[in-house]
Amino acid sequence: MLHLEHNKSVNIHSYPLYQLGNPQLRIFRTNFFMTLVRPGREQPENTVQFRIPMEMTKFDVKNYLQSIYSVPVAAVRTRIQYCTNKKRNHKNQRVKRPDYKAAYVQLAQGQTFTFPDIFPQKDQTPEPGSVEEIQNKFLEDEKQKQKADPRRGGVTDWFGL
Amino acid sequence: MAARSRWPLMRAVDLNAGSRRLGAGLGTEQAATPTPTPRYPPVLPSRSAKSKSAQGRRVEEFFQQVHGAPGGAEKIRLLTRIQRPKYVVYPQTLSIEADRWYQSFTKTAFVPGLPGRLASAAPGAALELGQLRSLLCEALLQENFYVKRRRPFLYREREQTVLPLLGNLVPRLISALVEENPLLGASSLDYEPEVNFYWLRGERTVPRGHRKGHVDPIRFQIDDKPYCQIRVPEQLPELVPLEHSIPEDVPVIQIEPSRLPLFQRQYDNNIFIGSKIADSSCYGHTQFHFASDKLRREKLIKDNLTDQIEVRLRANGIASLFAWTGAQAMYQGFWSEADVTRPFVSQAVITDGIYFSFFCYQLNTLALSSGADQQNHRKNICWGTESMRLYEDIEGDHVRGFNDEVLSLLVHFLLNRAESKKSSIS
Repeated sequence: MLHLEHNKSVNIHSYPLYQLGNPQLRIFRTNFFMTLVRPGREQPENTVQFRIPMEMTKFDVKNYLQSIYSVPVAAVRTRIQYCTNKKRNHKNQRVKRPDYKAAYVQLAQGQTFTFPDIFPQKDQTPEPGSVEEIQNKFLEDEKQKQKADPRRGGVTDWFGL
Repeated sequence: MAARSRWPLMRAVDLNAGSRRLGAGLGTEQAATPTPTPRYPPVLPSRSAKSKSAQGRRVEEFFQQVHGAPGGAEKIRLLTRIQRPKYVVYPQTLSIEADRWYQSFTKTAFVPGLPGRLASAAPGAALELGQLRSLLCEALLQENFYVKRRRPFLYREREQTVLPLLGNLVPRLISALVEENPLLGASSLDYEPEVNFYWLRGERTVPRGHRKGHVDPIRFQIDDKPYCQIRVPEQLPELVPLEHSIPEDVPVIQIEPSRLPLFQRQYDNNIFIGSKIADSSCYGHTQFHFASDKLRREKLIKDNLTDQIEVRLRANGIASLFAWTGAQAMYQGFWSEADVTRPFVSQAVITDGIYFSFFCYQLNTLALSSGADQQNHRKNICWGTESMRLYEDIEGDHVRGFNDEVLSLLVHFLLNRAESKKSSIS
């Protein structure tokens, strides 16, 4: 029987013990959740970066992706990122940023993946005749009035007549 | 004040007259001595300042020092003197798509198949194929049937049969082919030699630390250990001319090598072909590699990575042969600023007992560092075959389904030699 603990993830201490002759352990609904993230540093095209729970292993990641999502996985590498315990709150107590495990998954069969642009830049130009456009134009005119005469060539008002 | 400091007009005119006279005088001097010696020493940037021109001057002086060094040994010592962190490139690797990365590190274009000279039939050897076939079958049966062995260690079963097979086969083939190819008679056979090469390729800006913003070259090191290799005193002939252009491209990968994954270490920068520089057999002929358990075909097929089988064999061939030919060229005194004037050719056979792959490599350029590579249009070329089965099965004391093509390719490889009349070995 699986006993889920308070942090609600299936870890090694809650798997039933294997004894010789037991059937293959099969878990049908894991409590693992993987997050696909944008890589901080540039990765090759066949590499996808995930944040995974601490208890997951490389083999868990591979089986997860292949069984549930049918993604062909060639190789998985993991690392644990330690996050700072140095920050302090208003009571001067140390505040820990939680650690996380990152997985780099290389796809098989020549597949590639690029992280999509989730926040595309919207076109900033306002519609003609709208209030924003009149306001922007007014602000630009004010700024233009504040600037010095360009015919003076950058010379300040301290000089001259 | 401006008026008072203005010089009188007559004085200005006199000055002009004086310079005109001087000019006339200099003209006559120059006509008399066509090359005037410079009066002052050349204006050079500083050597010790913290500026880019000072850095450039230090680099130039170092290159002059290496150019002036007598012989390959001294040049290698100067170029490999300082230890810095470098990427260690393993020829036998588990990485995905390793062959494309290795091609970009070594500026190699891969051509599938072998060049015409090695693939076509050699006329003299047709008669002896029968004798060599029986020799090969005998060696196979010896290892797979006749010899009784203990239970092999985990994942080292193939090593137990294949390494003694190669160890028996190669000297027997050499002695059988010595009449056809006298070069083999003057060759040296090494067992488990060290082959090392160190080179610079590409540049990297230091991202963090006290050296942030500095531009460093990326350093690589290959430490290879083929099972056996044949070294000869005469170089193999070129497969294509030095400046020959081929349609295949060198893949360029802009991502940093640690994403392959490749790891950095700092230790002695070694350049070695298998013997020291004073040895007369300083050119390479053929290497024999054992495709270790990292390149296990069964495991790759089970993991659904069938395309990676050939990738790993190609990566092994390219890396090992680049290291060997590069080290041979450096022994002759060539380096990245003094590029090779003749191509260096070597061959390799990679086997796991049943499957054989043949590779040959032509080193056309050693100028791989960022400064030397800007005007360099040459590229190194590697030819290679897919892996071919030597035999189907061994039933008792009989080898079934023997593949003659593999044997003929092996014989062609061993018979490869320079056909020139100037060869002193004939």
